[in-house]
Amino acid sequence: MLAFLGRSLIQKIITLFFVSVISFLIIYLAPGEPSQIDPLNPIFTQEVLERFRKEFHLDKPLHVQYFYFYRDLISGKSVSWKDNRPVLGKIYERFLNSLPLFILGTLITWTLSFPVGIHAAIRRGSFYDRSTTFLAYLLISIPGFFFAYMLIIFVVTQFHVPVIGMETFGISSTGWSWLMDRVWHLLLPSILFGAGGIAVLSRYVRNQMLEVESQDYVRTAKAKGLPADKVHYKHALRNALLPFVTMFGLILPGLIGGSVIIESIFSWPGMGRMAYEAILARDYPVILTVNFISAILVLVGTFISDLLYMVVDPRIRL
Amino acid sequence: MRRILIAVPTFLILFLLHSYLYVPTYEEQTRGNPERLNEYIDASIGDAQILNPILSADSASSAIESKVFEGLIDRDEELNFRGRLATHWEIFEEAYFYINDEAWIPNLGKADAQGIIRLLGDAIRDRKEREDKLSKSLANIEKLEALPARTFEVSKQEKGAGGEAVPVTIRVAAPPRIRMVLKDVDQELFDHLSGLLGREYFSSFDGARFIDILPETFSSKRSAYARELLPATENNPVIVFHLRSNVRFHDGHVFDAEDVRFTYEAIMNPKNLSPRIADYEPIKAVEVLDPLTIRIVYKRLYSPALGTWGMGILPAHLLNSRALREEAKRRGMNPEKFFLRQSELSRKPVGCGPFRFREWKTDQYIVLKRFDDYWEGPPNYKGYTLRIVPDLLTQEMEFYAGTVDQYGVEPHQVERLKNDPTYQSFSGLSFGYTYIGYNMRREPFKDRRVRQALGMAIDVDKIIKYVLYEQGESITGPFVKQTDFYNHAIEPLPYDPEGALKLLAETGWEKGPEGWLEKDGKRLQFTLITNQGNNLRKAILSIAQDSWRKIGIDVRTSVLEWAVFIQERVNKLDFDALILGWSMGIEPDLYQIWHSSQTQPNQLNFVAFRNEEADDLIIKIRQEYDHDRQVQYCHNLHEIIAQEQPYTFLYVRKWTAILDRRIVIKEVDPDGTVRYSRIKPTKTGNYGFYFNKWIKLPEVPRFEVEG
Repeated sequence: MLAFLGRSLIQKIITLFFVSVISFLIIYLAPGEPSQIDPLNPIFTQEVLERFRKEFHLDKPLHVQYFYFYRDLISGKSVSWKDNRPVLGKIYERFLNSLPLFILGTLITWTLSFPVGIHAAIRRGSFYDRSTTFLAYLLISIPGFFFAYMLIIFVVTQFHVPVIGMETFGISSTGWSWLMDRVWHLLLPSILFGAGGIAVLSRYVRNQMLEVESQDYVRTAKAKGLPADKVHYKHALRNALLPFVTMFGLILPGLIGGSVIIESIFSWPGMGRMAYEAILARDYPVILTVNFISAILVLVGTFISDLLYMVVDPRIRL
Repeated sequence: MRRILIAVPTFLILFLLHSYLYVPTYEEQTRGNPERLNEYIDASIGDAQILNPILSADSASSAIESKVFEGLIDRDEELNFRGRLATHWEIFEEAYFYINDEAWIPNLGKADAQGIIRLLGDAIRDRKEREDKLSKSLANIEKLEALPARTFEVSKQEKGAGGEAVPVTIRVAAPPRIRMVLKDVDQELFDHLSGLLGREYFSSFDGARFIDILPETFSSKRSAYARELLPATENNPVIVFHLRSNVRFHDGHVFDAEDVRFTYEAIMNPKNLSPRIADYEPIKAVEVLDPLTIRIVYKRLYSPALGTWGMGILPAHLLNSRALREEAKRRGMNPEKFFLRQSELSRKPVGCGPFRFREWKTDQYIVLKRFDDYWEGPPNYKGYTLRIVPDLLTQEMEFYAGTVDQYGVEPHQVERLKNDPTYQSFSGLSFGYTYIGYNMRREPFKDRRVRQALGMAIDVDKIIKYVLYEQGESITGPFVKQTDFYNHAIEPLPYDPEGALKLLAETGWEKGPEGWLEKDGKRLQFTLITNQGNNLRKAILSIAQDSWRKIGIDVRTSVLEWAVFIQERVNKLDFDALILGWSMGIEPDLYQIWHSSQTQPNQLNFVAFRNEEADDLIIKIRQEYDHDRQVQYCHNLHEIIAQEQPYTFLYVRKWTAILDRRIVIKEVDPDGTVRYSRIKPTKTGNYGFYFNKWIKLPEVPRFEVEG
C-alpha cells in the first residue's frame, strides 16, 4: 500500500514537471504576443514595445523565462500582465464564483442521473426507457449555446425575471431573499451545466445496471422470492455503483475548468471566461497558472480515484 | 433506497425552483423603481483593464476614464478645441538660429550677431513696401534678440569597442544665437528668412567646428553630436495654459498646475510603461509659472500636440513618489518596485471629472456616482454604471428588459430597430476604414495603373449593400470622413471592369489563350490575405477574388491567424495584397502610415507608399498650427493618395445605437424654469456629448416640433 502510494507520487511529480515544460513551450512558442504589445496599434512605437518586452522578460532566452515564471508562481508573486494584479488572487476570486455553479451542476447531474438511469434499466425497452434514451441523445446533440439562448428567451419572455449575472443587477435586498436571488441566478446555468452530464451519466448508470441485473446472483435473489425493490436497489445497485466511485475523483479538475460559453452567455464572472480572455490577450502568467493548477487537480483526481478503487474493490489490492 | 433516490432530486429541484419567488421582475426593477430614472446603465463586452488614463489602451477603460477624469481641453460639437480644466490658452513660437559667421549675406557680406539683428530689424521696419511671404513672416516676429556665445559640457554614455559603456564628454563652444519670439507658429520662417540672409545661410552652418570630444576615439561621431547639440535652426512652439481656479478632485484636494506637470512626468517616466509616451516625446520642458499657469515648450513643430492635452489629469498628491512609497509600505510591498501600475488608484481612480468612482466588481460592473462639486455643475444623473455583458444577444435582451439603457445595433437589425417608435436611434460613421493594400515592392503592383484597375474591378457598392446591410459608406482616402480634412471633391473609383481591362492592357497584360491575363508568357497571379476572426474581411476576400477572376486575374487567397498574419506576413513585408482596416483619430497626422521613412519591417507603411510630394505634405501637416492651411494640405495629400491608389479604399462602417425614448436633455435656466429637449448628436455623430445633461423621465415626452 505504502509502496504504491510512494510510486504513484513520484510518477505524478515527474508528469507534472513535463506538463509544466510542455505547456510553457506551447504557449511561448505559439505565435502572438501579449495584447499590451499590439504591433498594429500606432500609439506603440518600437521603443515602447521593446521596453514592454523587457519588463515581461520576453527578451530573455526561453529557459530563463521558464525559470522566472515558475519561481514567481511558486513564491506567489506572479502578476497578470493585463492588470498587474496577483494571479493567484485573481484565480481565487474567480474560483469562488465558479464554485457554486460547479457544485450545483454536479449535484444536479449526480442526483438526477441515478434515478433516471436505474429506472430505465429496470424497465428496459419500455416507453419510458426509449424516451429517456431519445432525450439523452437530444441533450448531447443540442449545442450548448443554442440551448442556453432558448432557455433565456423562454424564461425572460414568459416570466419577466432577470437571469443574467450572479445576482439581480442593482439588487438591494439582504439575508434570505438575497441568497434565494443568487440561487435563482444559479439555476439556469447549472441546469445547462448539468444537462449534458445527466444525458451521459444516466446512460452509464443504465448500462451498468443492465450488466449487473443479468448476473447470476441477481437471478438467484429474484428466484428466492425477494421483493423486486430489494433486488434492484440492494443487490444490483450496490454492485453497479462500483465504477462510479472512481469517477468521483475525476470530477476534481472540473473545479477550475469552468465553461466559456455558459459563462459568457450568462455574464458569469467565472474561471472559464477568465482563462479564455487571458488566452486572447496572451496573458501568459494567468494561462500558465490555470494550466498548472488544473494539471495538479487532474493528477490529484486520478490519485484519489486510485485510492477509492483500492478501498472499494478488494481485487485491486493484489 | 429507492425513496431516497427519488426524494433527493425532487427536493433539490423544488428548492431551486422556489427561488423564483424571491426574484424581482424586470417590471419591479425598472418601472416600479423611481430611483432607476436617476441612473444610466451602459453595457460593455469586455471589462476595463486599468483605470488610469495614461496607462490604459482599451475602450471600456476609456469609457470610465472619460467620466472620472478631466483633461485641460476637449473638442466641442464642431470639433474645435474647448477649454475644460484650462480656461484659455495661447500658442506662440520661439525660434532660434546660430550665427553663421562664414556665410555670405547678400548686400552685406559676412556679419556677426549685431549685424544680423540690425539687418532683420531694418527688414521688419521696411516690410510694408512688400507684400510677399517674407514680409508676412517678418511681421509675425514680435521680439528679436541676440544671445551671446556660451560654452557648456555634455556627458554621454557610448558603447566602447568591447560593448562596455564609456563616458564621453562633449565640450561645446556655441557661437552667438538669435532668438525670435513669433506671434503665431510659422513653419516656413527659416525658409523665408533665407531669402534675406542667403539661400545657404542656415544649411551651411557647420556645428562640428564648435565641438570638442573627449576621449578622441569618438570623434567620428562629431557631426552626429553637432546635429543634436548645435542645430542650425530650432523651432520651439510654446503653449501656455491658463487653468480654471477652484476645481477640486473627488477627494476635495484643489487642482493646480502641479497636477498637470505630474501627469506629464508620469507619462514620460519609463518605469510606468505608458503607451502614450510617443505623444509627449516632442515636449522640451513643462514649466509651472504659477499655480494656475503652465507653460509647455516643444522641441519641434508638432501640431497634434494641442490635442494630447485632452488627457485626463492625475491627482499628484495621491500618486507622486512620496504617496506611492507610503502606499507600498502600507500594503507591505517593496517600494523600489512600486510604480503607478501597482497603485490601488488604478482600480479606484480619483480625478476631477463629473463622476466619482464607487465600485468595481471585476467582470460584473463598474459603478460611478455623480460628483456634486463638479466645476461645471453636477450632472443630472446620480449614477453611471457600466455592466460587463460579454454576449451580444444577452445585451440585447437586457436592453429590452430595461436594465441596460443603450444598445449598439448589429447591422442586420438596423432596418428593424431604427424606426421602432419605442426607441430613439442615432447613427454615424465610425473612425476607421477597411482597405485592400498592395505591396508596391512587388510586381505587378509597382504600376499605378494596375492598382487602379484592381480597384475598378471591385464593386464597393455591392459590398456595402450585401455584406454590410447598407451600414457603410465608400471612402476615397485616409482621413476621417466627418472632418474638414477629408476631401469630398474626390470621386470614388468607378466600378468598371471593362475600363480595368483597358488599363491593364496599357501596362501589357493581355488575355491569353486560357482566358487569364498574361504578359511575356507569365500569368497575372498573386495571393490576397487577411486575418482569421473577421467575417467581414473574409467575405470581402471572396468577393475580391471573384471579381478579379472575372477579368482574368489568377488570385489565390489565404486566411491567417491574427498573430501569424501580423508577425510573419505584415511585419516582415511578405505579402502581395492584404485586406485590413485602420482606425483613426481626428488629428490628421499620417506620418506613421504614409511617410516613406516608415517602410521598414515592423513599421506601418508596409505597402511601401513612397511619394516625395506626399512626404512633404505629411511633414507640413504635422507642423502646421493653422487649421485652414492644414485643411488645404490635407486635401492635397488626399488627392495624391487617391490618385496613386496604394490601397483600394473600400468603406467606413456606420454604427447605430438605440436609446430609450424617455432619455432627454434637461436644462435649468438661471430663473429656475426647466426645459427638456431631444438629444442631438454632434458633427461626428457623438450623441453622448451632452451626457451630463441627460435624464430619464417617467413618461415619453412630447416635443413641440417633431423632427
